[in-house]
Amino acid sequence: MIYFPQLSSGATGQFPIARQRSARTVVNESWQGYQVKLADPAAAVTEWHLSFDELTDQELAALEALFQAVEGSLTPFTFLDPVDNLLAWSQQQNQAVWQADPLLTLTAGVADPMGGTAAYQVSNPTAATLTLQQSINAPASLDYCLSLYARSDESTQVWLVRGSATTAQAIGPQWTRLTSAGQLQDTADSINFGIALDPGATLDVFGIQAEAQTTASMYKQTAETGGVYPNARFQTDTLTITTVGPGRYSCELDIVNVEYL
Amino acid sequence: MFPTLKTGAVMQYPAKKTLLFNTDTIRFLDGTEQRFRDNPSILHQWTIQLDLLDESELAALDQFFISNQGRFGSFSFTDPWDGTAYPNCSLAKDGFSFQLKGEMRGKTTLTVCENRT
Repeated sequence: MIYFPQLSSGATGQFPIARQRSARTVVNESWQGYQVKLADPAAAVTEWHLSFDELTDQELAALEALFQAVEGSLTPFTFLDPVDNLLAWSQQQNQAVWQADPLLTLTAGVADPMGGTAAYQVSNPTAATLTLQQSINAPASLDYCLSLYARSDESTQVWLVRGSATTAQAIGPQWTRLTSAGQLQDTADSINFGIALDPGATLDVFGIQAEAQTTASMYKQTAETGGVYPNARFQTDTLTITTVGPGRYSCELDIVNVEYL
Repeated sequence: MFPTLKTGAVMQYPAKKTLLFNTDTIRFLDGTEQRFRDNPSILHQWTIQLDLLDESELAALDQFFISNQGRFGSFSFTDPWDGTAYPNCSLAKDGFSFQLKGEMRGKTTLTVCENRT
C-alpha cells in the first residue's frame, strides 16, 4: 500500500491546513425561479492544501519518495485526513461498518456528554469478552490515537482496541475521555479500532474517534465516510521544495481525492 | 436543521442578509418603463461568516454539507434577525471549504438561500 507519510512528530499535517469539499448538482431553473435539482454524488471532490515548515532530511525524503513512487498526479495513494476522524458513522454504532460480536447488545439514544442523545449503551450479557470494532484500510504501522467517551453506573473497565494493542481503562459514573495511542510493529494494510467488554459489563460510549497522530484532538462526528481516502492524488505534477537552511525544508502540497477516477 | 455553534448561535458578526426581488423592466423608446415581477415573492439569503471555530463545530458543518450533497438538499433555516423559520432553504454553493490555522482556530463561510416554493 502506498500512503502519505507521517512526520517524525506522528502528525500528517501542520497548521495551517485548508480543506475543500465540492459536490455537483444539476439545476434546472424556471423563469419564475423554481428549481429542479439533481444530485451527482459520484462527482464529489475533496481537496487539501498542506503547508509544511521545518521539515527534516528524513521527512523530506519520505515526501519525495512518495511523490516519485506515484509519479506526481498519475497514480493514487492512501491519504489519512489530518483534520478528520478516520472512523465512519462515529455516532451510529448500529451501522454495518461497525462489527459487533454476536450477543453484544447496543441501545441507541442514550444521553451523551455533549448534551445530546447520541451515545450508545453497550452490554455484554455473555461469559466471554465481546468486541465492537471498525476496520479501516490504512497501514497498521503508522501512529494512531483512539479516543472515546465512556461511563458506567458501576466502576468497571473497558478495553480499548487499537489493532493488536488492547488497553484496559477504568471508568465510573462520570463521562471520561479515554485514549490509546502509539505505533504498532505491524505491516498489515488495515487496522481495527474499537472496544472490548468484559463478561457482564455494561457501559455508555460516545464519540469513538481514530486519528493518525499521537494524541487525541477534539471529537469530530462522521457519517458514511471517515477520513480515509484510498484514491488520493497529488493535484499537480510539481513538487517544489525550499531549503531554508541545513536540514530545514519547507514545501506546500495540494492533494485531491476524486471518487469517480 | 442548520447546525448551531457551541454558543447556540448560528452566525457571527459581521452577519449579512440579502433580500432578493426579481423585477423585469421593459424600457420604451420615449423613456417610459413598464415593470413587472418575474418572481411571485421575495427571497432571502444569508451569508454566514464563521471564525475561531473548533474542530467539532467545523466537523458538524462539514457533515451538514455532505448530508445535503452541496446545494441539492433542502432544510429549514431560522433567520437569526427575527426568528422566522424558512422551511425550504438550501446551501447556495456546491463547495465547502475551511481553513484551520491552529487548534480551535477554524474559519469558513457558508451561504444559505431560500428556495422558491
